[in-house]
Amino acid sequence: MSRFCLFALLVLAVNCKAQEPSARTADVLLAERSLLHGDKTDALRRAQLIAGAYEQSGTQWSAADRIAAGRAYVILGSRSKEAVRQALAAFDAAIAADKSNVEARLRIGDLFLDKYNAPEAKASFDEVMKLDPKNARGALGLARVSAFQGKKEFESYARASVASDPKLATARVFLAQTHLVAEARDSAVAEAKAALALDPESIPAWAVLGAVAMTSGDSAELKRVREAVLKINPRPADFYLDLADAATKQRRYDDGVRLAREALRFDSTSVRALGMLGTNEMRVGNLDAARPLLEKAFAIDPFNLWHKNTLDLLDQMKTFRTIDVGHFRVVASEKEAPQLTSYILPLLEEAYDSLSRRYQYTPPSAVRFEIYSHHADFSVRTVGLTGLGALGVSFGPVLAIDAPSARNRGEFNWGSTSWHELAHTFTLGLSNNHAPRWFTEGLSVLEERRARPEWGAKVSVEFLSAYRGGKIRKVSELNDGFVKPRYGAETIFSYYDASLVCEMIEQEHGSAAIVEMLKAYRDGLSTPQVFQRVLKTTPEQIDAHFDAWFTKRFGEPLKNVAANEGEESVSGPFVDAVRKGLDLMGRAQNDSAKVELLRAQAMFPEYAGQNAPALMLAKIAQDKRDQRGALAQVQRVTQSNETAWDANLVEADLRLQLGDTIGALVPLQRLIWISPYELSIHVRLAELAARVGNRALALRERRAVLTLDPTDKLEARYQLARALTDAGDVAAARRELLAVLENAPSFEKAQSLLLELRTRSASPPDDEESA
Amino acid sequence: MDVSSAQGVGVIRRLVLAASLCVPSLVSAQQTHVLIITGLAGAPQYQKSFNETAAMLADTAKKKWGIADSSLIVLGEDRAFDPVHIKGKSTREEVAAAFLRLSRRAKPGDVVLVFLNGHGGGEGSTSRVNLPGPDPTAADYATWIAGFSRQSVVFVNAATGSGDFVGVLKGPGRVIVTATKTAVEKNESVFAAPFVRGLVSGEADADKDGRISVLEAFTYAQKEVARSYEEGRKLMTEHAQLSDSLLARSVSFGGSPASGDPRVMALVGERAALESQVADLRTKKASMDSTAYSRELEKLLVAIAEKSQAIRAAGGKP
Repeated sequence: MSRFCLFALLVLAVNCKAQEPSARTADVLLAERSLLHGDKTDALRRAQLIAGAYEQSGTQWSAADRIAAGRAYVILGSRSKEAVRQALAAFDAAIAADKSNVEARLRIGDLFLDKYNAPEAKASFDEVMKLDPKNARGALGLARVSAFQGKKEFESYARASVASDPKLATARVFLAQTHLVAEARDSAVAEAKAALALDPESIPAWAVLGAVAMTSGDSAELKRVREAVLKINPRPADFYLDLADAATKQRRYDDGVRLAREALRFDSTSVRALGMLGTNEMRVGNLDAARPLLEKAFAIDPFNLWHKNTLDLLDQMKTFRTIDVGHFRVVASEKEAPQLTSYILPLLEEAYDSLSRRYQYTPPSAVRFEIYSHHADFSVRTVGLTGLGALGVSFGPVLAIDAPSARNRGEFNWGSTSWHELAHTFTLGLSNNHAPRWFTEGLSVLEERRARPEWGAKVSVEFLSAYRGGKIRKVSELNDGFVKPRYGAETIFSYYDASLVCEMIEQEHGSAAIVEMLKAYRDGLSTPQVFQRVLKTTPEQIDAHFDAWFTKRFGEPLKNVAANEGEESVSGPFVDAVRKGLDLMGRAQNDSAKVELLRAQAMFPEYAGQNAPALMLAKIAQDKRDQRGALAQVQRVTQSNETAWDANLVEADLRLQLGDTIGALVPLQRLIWISPYELSIHVRLAELAARVGNRALALRERRAVLTLDPTDKLEARYQLARALTDAGDVAAARRELLAVLENAPSFEKAQSLLLELRTRSASPPDDEESA
Repeated sequence: MDVSSAQGVGVIRRLVLAASLCVPSLVSAQQTHVLIITGLAGAPQYQKSFNETAAMLADTAKKKWGIADSSLIVLGEDRAFDPVHIKGKSTREEVAAAFLRLSRRAKPGDVVLVFLNGHGGGEGSTSRVNLPGPDPTAADYATWIAGFSRQSVVFVNAATGSGDFVGVLKGPGRVIVTATKTAVEKNESVFAAPFVRGLVSGEADADKDGRISVLEAFTYAQKEVARSYEEGRKLMTEHAQLSDSLLARSVSFGGSPASGDPRVMALVGERAALESQVADLRTKKASMDSTAYSRELEKLLVAIAEKSQAIRAAGGKP
């Protein structure tokens, strides 16, 4: 039974009783009231009596009594999966006795949704609406199903529910909860209060008030709410779980653990409490503590897919390798760990150093960095289910990302993603997890761009088009772009927009202002208060100021991109010029194409995305053997687009053709952050690095080749021995060589190197380390 | 120890006795004959890849393995596609004639390499590769290679759906290699290029002895095929087969011709003896102290390296 609907059902039960007096309905009502007031033992005892009677003579019972039996089984279902099935059977039996019974269908819908079966729940609520189109609880059920499925329709269903029955407290509670998720605290409070006016004992409504008080740091209000709840239920596990849920949604995972633990103290068999505590323990990195909790939860409720998925993942993680170095604990699959860590650890340390200086904050413990070779595993780690679209997640000091192997090449840059997530560790840490989403995401994107010029989101035609069309939110409402996006691309646009806001603040107020803003959030201030305290400005002023700043910065491109007010494709003079250039190239009229493409480039010089004029101009220059011209163009892309695989390859080739071997190393190293699995790139890097005397790089790349399990392993090991020799590590080189020659004594190159090493080595071989 | 023939191609039997005596006996004993057959491409991209693969193998056979023109036959869909390499149209008649021609040239103990590439069809004994005109079946090829009973035959069918050729063609003195496990694996296959690359480059030379055995080329190709599917994030739809791994290990291509200089021959023999000692030592590795093992191993390996150096100094090719 949904925790949110309990009181309404209780009220309805009373109504049912009034309409159709039934001793069994009264009995189950008493059981439910016991549950509401925290006396679970009494509730279970009463429910058991009803269920026992039903099992004796249920076939003779009326539809209303069968519903009462179903409700009793629902109570018993908190401890027995069999009872859940019996509840469903009893409700079905009620429908069999009364084909048009709406109440039984509502109960079935609630039961299915409570057991995570949204399609069946929807089917049941749909039947209700067919029988009774104005049924407020049916509409509310559909709203809950939609919210569960992440569909936007939940709002219209919820409104329909309230319109049908303005006195339905559970609908008000639902609205309050959705406002809370959207961080619209004032609206959440208003709806919660409306619910309480209808039902003063609605613990979920009180929980919304408590969550708002907790997240805004109003301890007096939180105390008042808690006392009110305790008067209703001295063991309010679900109240604490609602608070834990709100804390988790605010990325306050430590609070989530604390509150879930408190809930578990009140109800040690609550699946929700066990699951929430287990999940939050995972998020703070206590995987060992999480497992028994989730196992217990799953034993009670085997319908819970989240818990099952997470337990499966924990099983799989037993095979992962853990590497503790410096400020990090990296966890990755045995297969990928050696290769990925050789790149990611130095990058993470560089990021740690940079970020700790900028934010004047040091994480209290080593940062746990998990890398998942399968996106489904990453998704389960993050939300308990597969299908999450994100690339990385930060739980504060615990980070998880997709390994580059989890995605197709070119879909993302795993270096910038790692940097992005680590930046959250610092911004969330400094703000004690109080920084709103827009600010922490904006800073993370800004940090990506700061780390490497080509990293991070860049301005796109689509973004400018949306900006012109008024589809980008004002600064003061930017958080809504993350928590309640209105269209598919809005979240992505919001990341970039937020990063620009942060960039503007930093430009105009200095980086210290960013730190002060995070501290102000830590102190519990709201965004308008933070603007006022640190920037001495109002939301309205910053909205207008940013618009002016943005318009000045992107004045030329903005003029040349048409406003996009709907879902239509992009258009405008820039797009027209690019299309014309492409068309002319297709007809081999490169000179005319060049004119068009240069015109397009002048309109939007920063553009480095798909069909960037620079890419085509580089191609035209290459065709004319103008290598320098081609290089200048292709660099416009490689220095602005973090996933430009082909462009980086072209840049490397051009630089080599121009004799710039050292320069060629740069694009080749960028490629590693797009995909580290291309053997040929590592071999090329190793050879070029050796050629220019960059021995450390050559050595790293020779080691990388070996981690990729090359077909010609002996050659790869020989090359590693060569690189070790060049780097002066004669002992290691000889160990490697002996291992090679042990398997291939005829390997001529290795033989020669062995003799060379003997000549170089100061000490005789017998005194040195074994092979 | 046997080493490669004068043609740089030979059957290697890893017996380490009387090395210096064995060498000359094999120098003139074995030759390799190569027949390359490319079927109908059907599309420009296949035409390009089929012809490139055939050309790569033909060039290597001629330039690196020293195969005489008379022992190297390349048949293709159309001579115009690659006039340099393709010497005839790959019709059923031409293919049959080519087998007949080689059977007249091949002496007992020689190696015959048949490389067949294209799009496969049929199944069992009627498995075939699409050629211009009527397609010969696996049974036809079995008939044609029956004439090489005193030679070692390496028959590679790198076409799609080639798996059933193994069952039809396998037999004593034959290594049958197919790109797929069964005739049902009919999706585009990538096996041909890595197999040929394995044969012609040093990448497949697992023991780094300068010669590529059929088994080495096959193992290399298998790994490269798997890598290709993995990189493309595709389910693998081809599983190569090899009929006789023992023979495949001993039939090899490439390597330098042995020297007739007695000084070099003596050094080669001494080195072979040292290599044999390494092999002996490796069998004792588990029972030896690791430091002692390493010391002994290094001593032998240095001695081998010095022998190679001496062979080079004496004008030989290690």
